[in-house]
Amino acid sequence: MTAFTLNGREVDVTAEPDTPLLWVIREQLKLTGTKYGCGIAQCGACTLHVDGEPVRACVFPLSAAEGRSVTTIEGLSEEGSHPVQQAWVALDVPQCGYCQSGQIMSAAALLARNPSPSDAEIDAAMAGNLCRCGTYVRIRAAIHRASEA
Amino acid sequence: MKLQDVSLTRRSFLAGAVAAGVALVVPLRLPTWAGQGEAAGLSQAFIRIDTSGQVTFRLPTSEMGQGTHTGQAQILADELGADWSSIVVGMPNQPTPDYRIPFIGQMRSVGSFGIRFWHDPLRLAAAQAREMLTQAAAERLGVAPAALHAGNGFIVHADSGRRIPFGELVGDASSLPVPEEPTLRPDDQRTLSGRGVPRLDTPQKVTGKAVYAVDVEREGMLYGAVRLAPVFSADIEAFDESSVAGMPGVVAVVRVPRGAVVIADSWWQAKRAADALGITFTATDADALSTEAIDTMLRDALDRPDVPVSTLRGDAQATLSSDGQVVEAEYSVPLLTHMSMEPINCTAESTEERTELWIGTQGQDVVRMTLENALQLPAERLFLNTTYLGGGFGRKTHGEIALQAVLASRAVNGRPIKVLWAREDDVRQGQYRQTMRCRFRAALDDAGNITGMRIRLAGPQMGREYGMDPEQMAQATGNLANFDPFSLAGLSDMRYVIPNFVVEHAVVDLPIPLCPWRSIAHSFNGFFFESFMDECAAAAGRDPLEFRRSHSEGQERMLAVLDRVAEMSRWSEPAAEGIARGLAVVESYGSYVAQVVEARVDDDDINVERVHVAIDCGHAINPDQVEAQMQGSVIDALGAALRQRVTIREGRAEQSNFHDYSLLRIGEAPSVAVSIVEIGSPLGGVGEPGIPPLAPALANALFAATQQRIRHLPLSEHIQV
Repeated sequence: MTAFTLNGREVDVTAEPDTPLLWVIREQLKLTGTKYGCGIAQCGACTLHVDGEPVRACVFPLSAAEGRSVTTIEGLSEEGSHPVQQAWVALDVPQCGYCQSGQIMSAAALLARNPSPSDAEIDAAMAGNLCRCGTYVRIRAAIHRASEA
Repeated sequence: MKLQDVSLTRRSFLAGAVAAGVALVVPLRLPTWAGQGEAAGLSQAFIRIDTSGQVTFRLPTSEMGQGTHTGQAQILADELGADWSSIVVGMPNQPTPDYRIPFIGQMRSVGSFGIRFWHDPLRLAAAQAREMLTQAAAERLGVAPAALHAGNGFIVHADSGRRIPFGELVGDASSLPVPEEPTLRPDDQRTLSGRGVPRLDTPQKVTGKAVYAVDVEREGMLYGAVRLAPVFSADIEAFDESSVAGMPGVVAVVRVPRGAVVIADSWWQAKRAADALGITFTATDADALSTEAIDTMLRDALDRPDVPVSTLRGDAQATLSSDGQVVEAEYSVPLLTHMSMEPINCTAESTEERTELWIGTQGQDVVRMTLENALQLPAERLFLNTTYLGGGFGRKTHGEIALQAVLASRAVNGRPIKVLWAREDDVRQGQYRQTMRCRFRAALDDAGNITGMRIRLAGPQMGREYGMDPEQMAQATGNLANFDPFSLAGLSDMRYVIPNFVVEHAVVDLPIPLCPWRSIAHSFNGFFFESFMDECAAAAGRDPLEFRRSHSEGQERMLAVLDRVAEMSRWSEPAAEGIARGLAVVESYGSYVAQVVEARVDDDDINVERVHVAIDCGHAINPDQVEAQMQGSVIDALGAALRQRVTIREGRAEQSNFHDYSLLRIGEAPSVAVSIVEIGSPLGGVGEPGIPPLAPALANALFAATQQRIRHLPLSEHIQV
């Protein structure tokens, strides 16, 4: 049994301790906003926050979540009110949208520690989040917009 | 309303749809084309307005990021005068003949058809519904229909200020005859078409609520991971179930074509067991296949003595043997995979009696045919829910994943199963963009104009790979002999004025599974042709823009996008210090796109700083989404041109995941300036046409920077910096 906080609520789950947190959250806890894309921390689609830090859930073992606070896209805000989500809506960033939960979680973590990032800082913080639709131009613009909110 | 319960003919369906609840239902009047007969299954092609005023329509175009659902909703709401928030976009849950797109004769989301093909039928049905609602309101209010107008979901009598919501009129309107030829709104009264209306799907996609196939949840669902033959032409020989029997969560192992699905309580457990499964595959002579061997096949094909001529105009051979200047070059492109961010997956609940799928597919009819062929599954027993696609790019037009999921579900008595390929399966299991090789020869006259051109393309005949017969291909292309649009589009039908012109296709069958890749043949022919045009311009000592313009006489759309991109990039002025520019223009899917790439080439690095894009796609229904598609296409195509390739060794793919097949990352993304040219052209596609010009524009910029002509993709493996 592993106990942790998920989007502000206590959860207990039973799974092999080395199961990546991604699968526990998606299949057992039924929060599917966090996506599988590569399984080797190369694409960022599974990005969520552990104690506020961005983490690739596809390589983060369940056992490491014990006692910690995990936030997924579903817990980032009530009904999409986080400034990053609002900026994403304002600029219609998503295309297929599959990578966007991860993009938004990385962007939110960036802005939490650096409220006014430069282009270079954005590029560095977002380098681990891939998008085949190529929405990077709008992601960059949306992060700037959110930083002004 | 349970649509699947309604009976089979169009007429009885409509009666049934109305009986299922008071509503105004207007069928879409679809264009006809070869291969479309009377609907054999249930027709779901209609718009429906219910008593609450909700407007529902179902079209077969899958939403995979291209924004097509929003654009279709704009067209409908605009013509109808509906309240924007009342529009509900659905997808048909059975692939019926009504939804077959032309050329391919299947329900598929390919060819950038979503807006340009459905625009007129949607608009017509909306106008019919509006006139019926207006007539009903006129009778109720005792005024002439001409005194009324529709807007924001009401029929309004402006003189008296009275208005009636659509929902209150649908009962009366549904008993009126459908007007054959309704009057369409004049363009100046269309308030949604032409506006950057926010996408309908964005709110769900920023909160994690959008449901992709991989997110589908069913009661009692199990999970499947695959173990498939690494060599493309190999099949499964045997597997040893006992090798995984004791592993946590494992429920069953199921044989499928070319491999096995391991079923478990969670996907992670299934994946671990699939990796551990004792399995043997058949040996094949394709074990020896390599990238080098394929290259040799293509090179040899270019040297064949006789190759069928696909397009012939004038006498290119005579021109080429005359005394003038001759330019020759040979180009190639590698195999590419798709890397949709959502790996291939499907959820199935299947018994002999009924099969239901949840799948993010671009190829509903391909899925249907795959199941028909493998299992003799009758179409009327198949229910196919198309979810959002986490990217498609052509890859999600195949049916093998559906067959795997159906076989797995049947093996556990019809329990729901979600079969998900690991990224490694997605990369290694093929369905690649084909590798092609192309040889050009052009003759220039004294003024440096092209008098003749001979093009020989070597590679597979993709039309056949996609299941088209020669008759279909001929119909699709205005009866051009030997013209396979999936291989030759962008060559045979290129728009430059070249008096003597020959295109030949040396067909090479590759023992590798292939499938479309965003912009299909244009993804390589754009690179080939526009690189070669640049070489001809350089050989003639002429400016690349001026050279293209002078070969575009009478081609208004081509000239318009060339002139626009020249203006945007200040082409006539010298480039900024350290910046090299390259130009390309390609017509594809009914749109013309010109691009100028501005690149900085340093010691060992290529930096694309800015790309200018001019597009003529006719009237842009949603300019903001046209811009988004152009921005994204540039970035997508840039990653591919710079470094993407699948290489083959011992009959299998050498790449496996994003670390060895990399997409562009944000720090490498250029700024992208987009300008939409509106000169009254017919509607064109938008999802694909931004791709083809990028690679040649980049190669042409690298030539300007380094005087090296890079004729083979990916560029980073061939440039010396």
